[in-house]
Amino acid sequence: MSYADPVPARVTFAEWGSLFQQIPDELIQQYHYFEGMANDECRMTNGESSAAGGHSFYPWSTYLFPPQTFAIYGSRHLRRLKFDNSLAALRMWGFVMSETERLFRARQVGRQVIATMGDLGGTPPMVLAAGNTVPFYPDCIWWLPFLNESTVLFDAAAALGIGESACYSRAALGAFAKQSYFPPPALCVAATGASCDDYGAVEQLVADMGYPMHWFELPLRKDCAGGSAASRFQEFGRTAYGVDYQLAARDLLVAQFGGLRRRLETTLGREIAAAALSSSIRQVNRVRRKVAHIRDLVHSAPAAVFPALEMMVVEFGSLHFYSDIDEWESILTHIEQTVEQRRENQGSVQSAEVTPLRGEGESPLRVVWVTPPADPLLLCFAEDLGLRVVGTEYVINQALGAIAEDGEPMAALADALLNASLTGSSRARARSIIEQAHRYDAEGVVISGILGGSHCALETNLIRDYVAAETDLPVLAFDVPAPATGVSSQVKTRLEAFAELLRARR
Amino acid sequence: MVERLTPRERFGLLVIDEPQDRVPVYPLITNHAAAVAGMSLREYCTRGRSMARAQLIAQERYGHDFISVFSEVGIIAEALGSVFEYPEDDLPVLRRPALDGGLRTLECGLRTADAGRLPVYYEAIEYAYDAVGDRVPIVAFVPAPFTTALHLVAGEEFLLATSLHAPPAEREQAHQLLDQVTLATIAFLLEVLNHSALPLLVDPLASGSVISPRAYREFALPYERRLIEFLHRYDLDVTLHICGDTTPMLPLLKETGADLVSLDRVDLDMARRALGDTLRLVGNYDTSRLLLDSPEQVEQEVHRMVESSSGSPKGYVAATGCEVPFRTPPENVRAFVRGAKTHHA
Repeated sequence: MSYADPVPARVTFAEWGSLFQQIPDELIQQYHYFEGMANDECRMTNGESSAAGGHSFYPWSTYLFPPQTFAIYGSRHLRRLKFDNSLAALRMWGFVMSETERLFRARQVGRQVIATMGDLGGTPPMVLAAGNTVPFYPDCIWWLPFLNESTVLFDAAAALGIGESACYSRAALGAFAKQSYFPPPALCVAATGASCDDYGAVEQLVADMGYPMHWFELPLRKDCAGGSAASRFQEFGRTAYGVDYQLAARDLLVAQFGGLRRRLETTLGREIAAAALSSSIRQVNRVRRKVAHIRDLVHSAPAAVFPALEMMVVEFGSLHFYSDIDEWESILTHIEQTVEQRRENQGSVQSAEVTPLRGEGESPLRVVWVTPPADPLLLCFAEDLGLRVVGTEYVINQALGAIAEDGEPMAALADALLNASLTGSSRARARSIIEQAHRYDAEGVVISGILGGSHCALETNLIRDYVAAETDLPVLAFDVPAPATGVSSQVKTRLEAFAELLRARR
Repeated sequence: MVERLTPRERFGLLVIDEPQDRVPVYPLITNHAAAVAGMSLREYCTRGRSMARAQLIAQERYGHDFISVFSEVGIIAEALGSVFEYPEDDLPVLRRPALDGGLRTLECGLRTADAGRLPVYYEAIEYAYDAVGDRVPIVAFVPAPFTTALHLVAGEEFLLATSLHAPPAEREQAHQLLDQVTLATIAFLLEVLNHSALPLLVDPLASGSVISPRAYREFALPYERRLIEFLHRYDLDVTLHICGDTTPMLPLLKETGADLVSLDRVDLDMARRALGDTLRLVGNYDTSRLLLDSPEQVEQEVHRMVESSSGSPKGYVAATGCEVPFRTPPENVRAFVRGAKTHHA
């Protein structure tokens, strides 16, 4: 079995189709999700398990398939995206795109599927500690209308009362109503309080549908800098990542994790031992450290060694590991090796591209990207224009930093969650953006707001002002329009003008 | 009535062994769509946009769960050099097979598979996919090698070469032809995949009504299996359709590796016992009854068919046994769809 990655590049849908023909059958058979479970932990309800190379796996659990496969099953946007051409990236895409199937298969083989919502990364370590569970974020379904170029899920949400005035996360409500994107969860852990308002409305309606809910309250994290009113009346602490928080918030979070633990034990009928929680934290940390390492390798590399779109997928994997943490960890290792090799060989996925705005030999324009674009095509388009993402603030800080392993696990989970971008101030988000801009020598900042997202409407301008006050970096802010077959002309011209501006400043 | 699932969501659940809101409904509407859209068969068979438009109109009127891209089974043979005529109001007719000098002329070679009306298919797929591909699966019918071979050589000569008494050299020539056709079909399949349709393999002339189980095992099955293995590299759920009475071949169908099997004149209960534990069954309402019975009779009979078949362990798709006849009364097709939909899984 021999297959070697081609020279690094971003390739089209059709080009991946051609590359896939060179991939040997043995390689397709090599990668499986839920590996090692077929014979020992669970019993199948469908088909037989088989064994190869000392491993056991389910016959349906292969996932190394090209974008063509997923386009045939409805992901129409894939035909327009550009992809990294490494085997590691193909493996990542196949794994991510097969998640719906994986969630149903999880239930078929006896795993309990738990929906974690709204906290973006805080609670899955606790859910994993219960054993034989699969935590997942329905929130991430917000990408599906864009990937499918479809209003099906938005229409379903609108029929239940949440229309265009709410952010794209309303797609998750449509998915709950349809019951065809994930199996009915054994429990829905719904973050409330200092979380997304729009998603809070989704959660309320999910509760109305009769799904079993556990409400998990997120406290608002206050700034103590500059002699604020909060700092005069409350005691403050600081996380390992330098984030200030009021002690009362930490106490509340510890209590919330205690409540979640009890609820999970009741629902699942088994105890969550402290040792299991510590072990789960260690595993989650392995993933988070790998992601941090990959981010740093990619953002600090002299050339663009991995595309922005794939990097966004890597970062969001820290939320719930695309429903199989073991396989996700293995995929991250594969990506890490690919990126390291490219750095060593001075490979670049953007070097050969010449755009109308970018002359030959010009290095890409380095930007920090703020708020994840709901439309993945935007990142591809930005790279086509000659932009290179060297930092991100995707509102998921809480899922990116390692959790303390040497203390009491419940307190460690609370501490980690206190780093959350979404529970703190806009100024705190801006600080993170500025810090990355300095570290990775960015030339500008792009903020892609969420149309209808209430926090974006307020926060975008604040972040732009903070960044402008403390740096001389140009900031481009725009809202991502509803799902379409291409980048809207207005967004196109604004991104083009921004690239031109950055180039003129060189 | 607004349904909970789109056809695509429904099919997505079927192929991962999950229950659906109701059985998927698939009257095999091919050239009947031209009648629904009021266009000539020549236009339907030779213009991709027209084919897609007719299918979209039919799907909107009837509300079934799949869009079919198909004219007739000669398309790959045509791309390989057979000559067809396109009557205004009939399906394309084979005028001269590519190997009209007989199997022995195979050594002069066949044309490559990028000609004829294959681009009509690509255009039809793309148009339909852009229009409704997020909600409805787009299915492209692809003739399997045995059926294509019969359109490349004078039919009798090829069939005689597959008979038990044929000289070994002729049998070998038949295999050589099938081998070349398989490669051409794979090239076509690749294009179908790149245009985002789900292939459905049709091998109507490998029917038990035409050849023996022995001939099927030797001359049809291995080539169907190669195509299916190729499609499984892409993790696709492959449907194999064979017309007529395939009862004697039922045990062999498992060997093809197909995921869904579309049956025609076969007792579905027997098929369920023979295949239902590993294959999803698709079928098999009698199309002559669809053409001739009253809508009330059709609805009742379809309801009964679904009632007795929907418990198939790997799942079931309520379908016609073969293509819906061109002149089927639309009210009968509506009755078919209604009868199938009123049964809840």
